[in-house]
Amino acid sequence: MLDSLPYELPELVTRAPLDTHRSTVLPEWVDWNGHMNVAFYVTAFDQASGAFMRNMGLGRRYVDGKLGMTFVLETHVTYDREMREGAPMRFATQLLDRDAKKVHLFHEMFHAEQGYLAATNETIVMNIDYASRRSAPWPVPVAGRLETLWATHRLLPKPAKAGRIMGLSRK
Amino acid sequence: MIELDLGAPFDRHRATVLPEWIDWNGHMNVGFYVVAFDKATDTLFEQFGCSFEYTKQKIGMTFVLEAHVTYDREVKEGDPLRVATQILDHDAKRLHCIHAMYHAGEGFLAATNELMVMNIDYASRRSAPWPDFALERIERMAAAHAALPKPKQAGRLIGIKKK
Repeated sequence: MLDSLPYELPELVTRAPLDTHRSTVLPEWVDWNGHMNVAFYVTAFDQASGAFMRNMGLGRRYVDGKLGMTFVLETHVTYDREMREGAPMRFATQLLDRDAKKVHLFHEMFHAEQGYLAATNETIVMNIDYASRRSAPWPVPVAGRLETLWATHRLLPKPAKAGRIMGLSRK
Repeated sequence: MIELDLGAPFDRHRATVLPEWIDWNGHMNVGFYVVAFDKATDTLFEQFGCSFEYTKQKIGMTFVLEAHVTYDREVKEGDPLRVATQILDHDAKRLHCIHAMYHAGEGFLAATNELMVMNIDYASRRSAPWPDFALERIERMAAAHAALPKPKQAGRLIGIKKK
């Protein structure tokens, strides 16, 4: 476990949910149906996970400094409404759970102007030791920030679309 | 339409990890696993007559309603991929299936993707029943897959296990 990180960490945003990430649907994300392709919703959500991790202190410097990485273990997406090229996106991210090595996140993607929910993403992200490429506990300062964040996020209600099991509901 | 492949699971899709699918961690990025899976979904829907030509000729489209991915092992640039697909369930408008992505050379499971896909009317962009030609094929493939065991990655609930 890393006891410290050799760079200055950004000021911690403790707002719950975390609402700092913004993005735009790129032309290359659009498929033959004329809307954002399913895969690029995942890319857009992965960037929102990246924003959460940067808030934790685990940005590009964490990887470039060969200290560690974060890997997604599992992800679940609900596609709620189409998004077209150029659509502005706003994300809200809730920390649903955490342990010594992992976080369980829930993202909502909104059309930033029209306000509608476009998609949700529930995901598990794990800390990885750079050299061994195996799981490792969060660096000590990150674990501390995670607990500070948990104190605010744990008070949020569980999102309706979290914890879904896929299936056809029979009428 | 192409001849229906009733092998169980459906095991036709092959791909290679492209350089632009690699991220700063030196492996295929989480989003591009889904790009690769979505191409396997296209290969599956060609079987039903509901792929590129279906949309190009303004007959209909298929939209994914929900997706679940398990990332089981890293794959690197140039790795050959094999995707096998099992039909889990279907109704008049929807198809529930799961893809398993393997490293085609080494054989290990790299990822799985469970999907709920819905048929869409081209003009209204709203849900619509499968065309007869597609439903007939979906039913035959579903019957061929009915005896397969349910994969352990299907129907998963995301969470951190408490020790």
